[in-house]
Amino acid sequence: MSDVATKPRPSLWVRYTSSSPIVVTIYALILGLVIGALIIVTTTPAVLDAWRGLFSSWNGLPHALNVSFNNVGAGYREMFTGSIVDPQGFWHSLVTGKGWPNTLTPLSETLTYATPLVIVSIGVGIAFQTGLFNIGANGQAVIGGIAGVAFGSMLHMPTIIHLPLALVAGVAGGMLCGALPGVLKAYTGAHEVIVTLMFNYVTYAFLLFMVLSTPFQQPGQSNDLSRTMDPTAVLPPLFGTKSGLRVSYGVFVAALVVLFAWWLLNRSSLGFDFRVTGANPSAARASGINARKVIVVAFLISGGLAGLAGVVQVASTTHYVDGTFLIGNAGIGFTAITVALLGRNRPIGIVWAALLFAALGVGGRNMQSTTGIPLDLATVIQSAIVLFVATPVLVKEIFRLRNVSTVGLQISTTGWGS
Amino acid sequence: MSLLDKPTESIAPPLVNSRRTRVIAVLMALVGLFTLFVFGLGSGAKTHSSLTFDPINVVSAPIKLGSLSMSVRWTDVVLGLIIIALATEVFVRQPRRGVMARFGGVATLFLIALLSWAARSPGPSITSSVNITSILVGSSATVMVLVFGALSGVMCERSGVVNIAIEGQFIGGAFLGSMIASTTNNFFYAAIGGLFVGGLIGLVLAFFSLRYRSDQIIVGVVLVTMLGGLSSYLTLQVLTPFPNFNTGDIAPNLAIPGLSRIPILGPVFFNQSGFFYVMMILVGVVSFALFKTRYGLHVRAVGEHPRAAASVGINVIRVRYINVVLGGAIAGLGGVAFMAAQGQFQVGYTSGYGYIALAALIFGRWRPSGAVVACIIFGLSVYLSYDLQTYQVPVSGYLLAMFPYLITIAVVAGLIGRVRPPAADGQPYQRD
Repeated sequence: MSDVATKPRPSLWVRYTSSSPIVVTIYALILGLVIGALIIVTTTPAVLDAWRGLFSSWNGLPHALNVSFNNVGAGYREMFTGSIVDPQGFWHSLVTGKGWPNTLTPLSETLTYATPLVIVSIGVGIAFQTGLFNIGANGQAVIGGIAGVAFGSMLHMPTIIHLPLALVAGVAGGMLCGALPGVLKAYTGAHEVIVTLMFNYVTYAFLLFMVLSTPFQQPGQSNDLSRTMDPTAVLPPLFGTKSGLRVSYGVFVAALVVLFAWWLLNRSSLGFDFRVTGANPSAARASGINARKVIVVAFLISGGLAGLAGVVQVASTTHYVDGTFLIGNAGIGFTAITVALLGRNRPIGIVWAALLFAALGVGGRNMQSTTGIPLDLATVIQSAIVLFVATPVLVKEIFRLRNVSTVGLQISTTGWGS
Repeated sequence: MSLLDKPTESIAPPLVNSRRTRVIAVLMALVGLFTLFVFGLGSGAKTHSSLTFDPINVVSAPIKLGSLSMSVRWTDVVLGLIIIALATEVFVRQPRRGVMARFGGVATLFLIALLSWAARSPGPSITSSVNITSILVGSSATVMVLVFGALSGVMCERSGVVNIAIEGQFIGGAFLGSMIASTTNNFFYAAIGGLFVGGLIGLVLAFFSLRYRSDQIIVGVVLVTMLGGLSSYLTLQVLTPFPNFNTGDIAPNLAIPGLSRIPILGPVFFNQSGFFYVMMILVGVVSFALFKTRYGLHVRAVGEHPRAAASVGINVIRVRYINVVLGGAIAGLGGVAFMAAQGQFQVGYTSGYGYIALAALIFGRWRPSGAVVACIIFGLSVYLSYDLQTYQVPVSGYLLAMFPYLITIAVVAGLIGRVRPPAADGQPYQRD
């Protein structure tokens, strides 16, 4: 391995055509966008109409291609301007110095979306590194959100205690929820995939039960709406409420979580045990690592982070939970699985992946409202990207990347047996 | 260290087994005590309830069974005592065989106690009753879907590929099935479409996990996410603007003449939609194919020890491709069956049945017959979690809705003890 350092730095071209993890990820992103474009082309009525014209006149083909490109282009353009920046507005603000809040709104929204996503994805990533598949992160985040709102709305105290208390409550709720699959896996061998998946449905039912039960429901409401957190318990916006930008102090919580995860995985002995167990369970057992403890603790941390993400999500945006909290497109716990895989389960990688997926999600919302292309396209693109990232060999074949070893690129979980 | 580990592991099984038997006995005893004190002694001395057995549609049931009226208190006290007696027997004698059969008996007794309690009327005059036949008929639709899913899982996992994408195949089958059934008004074409789309998803799973040896669980989960997103996207893009594509027809019942008139059994087994009969036939076909034919032997060999299978000339990859595609097609058909029972495609309405089917497969120890039993338990609990809300149950409907999922967890977590999946299940195979 030492000769790697002495090798001359490869040329740019070689680096772009060799299958390093980052290059594979970028190509997977391109493939995902291509698939998204194909879906837009094959399902948008206007585009299909244009293609139908192919059979009536010779001008049909250029026209059809033109309409296809226009639709795909409009969709992706709206995605970009809705999630990062609108170039026109940006120039306008730069020249006149006005309208900055408007210009920065897309970026702020992306960060708001990415903040809890980073936290929960790091939780999922830590479980992955231990060889555990935590599909229940969404349920754990729901419980964390409920616990955070409960502590934030039912107790009243100064900010200095209240905010940390709400956050800790969320962590505790998520841990409680993560402990179950961990303990069951460690002591009865129940596969964590089934247990965490089933627990997701349990937590949804629990959420609906909670938001409709008297102590937790918004007083005077009969809808599925919880109490609102006290102003002392919420994460305030970074630039003040007046700016209208929602990005909150939650980004610092996320930053702390990234630091913690980096320290845990790379510098602590516990993290070492995690990674050894994930890489080679029998070697871990042989070297005296307590497998049960590792499983339970990894699930506690994973669940705790998911819970924290849930409470950060609530405390920085709505300040209450309702019956659709984290359901469907907002289910950050499911996006987290794909984010963790895309970031190769490493904290820094996850930050980039979360920003990318947050941009896709937020941009998708903008795309839906301006072009009418449903926002679920973002989900499809995201899962396509991960499918390709999980299959580096295929990406290598499609783009004829140079044959660099793919060892370490392949991601794996454990089957039913182990 | 590893040398020291070996002997303890070989001693361990009987010890663990007896501990598991005791745990099951304690669980049974708890169920019995609950029945005795909450259902039995907890209800008033004069409460009565009645069980009826005639189907609601009286025309198809010429033979009347009447109804069974009973005192809730004494029925449930007796049932509770029987359960406790069974639990004591298991705890003291620790029988080596038949523990699960006794547990099944306890579950059935508990179910009767629960139903008679839920339908109780305050006095001897009967105001409400539980219709056993309609409960069985109502849950049979869920059971059918779960069986399709579990059979798909058996096909895939016996050949060594974990198919977590069952849920996705349900979604795909239900979506395409709804479109085809709405436009052609013919469920046969819908079934063909379901087989096709399910098989296609199976092919994608096989392609990624066999050709490129990607992690099967990750590919499966990603496929489910992708199909969930795609179905939601297409619903907004296609079904909402063109409601004619999603009219929500329900497949008609095809009564089998004669047989459908048998009390209780008739409505449950012989007055169902075509999908139900196909499901019953498929159970037999899959069992026979896996355990009695040469091809089934190949499949199981591939699932247990692919290298050994390859060394006697079996084409491991081909067997796996065939089985995953066939399994996917079965799950896709299950999706159509679900749509044909529930009507109109809606986003997310398969609500995790694919995963419950997977749990049923594990509970059934990777055998079609065992999986069917598990599917009946899960299907009943899914149906009852909705149905009980119409009776006098002082528990929130949302808490009842957790019931099937909690049962699944309890089952996977060790009611069944350690199960042994096919040895090569989920392992990528590399040709030498």
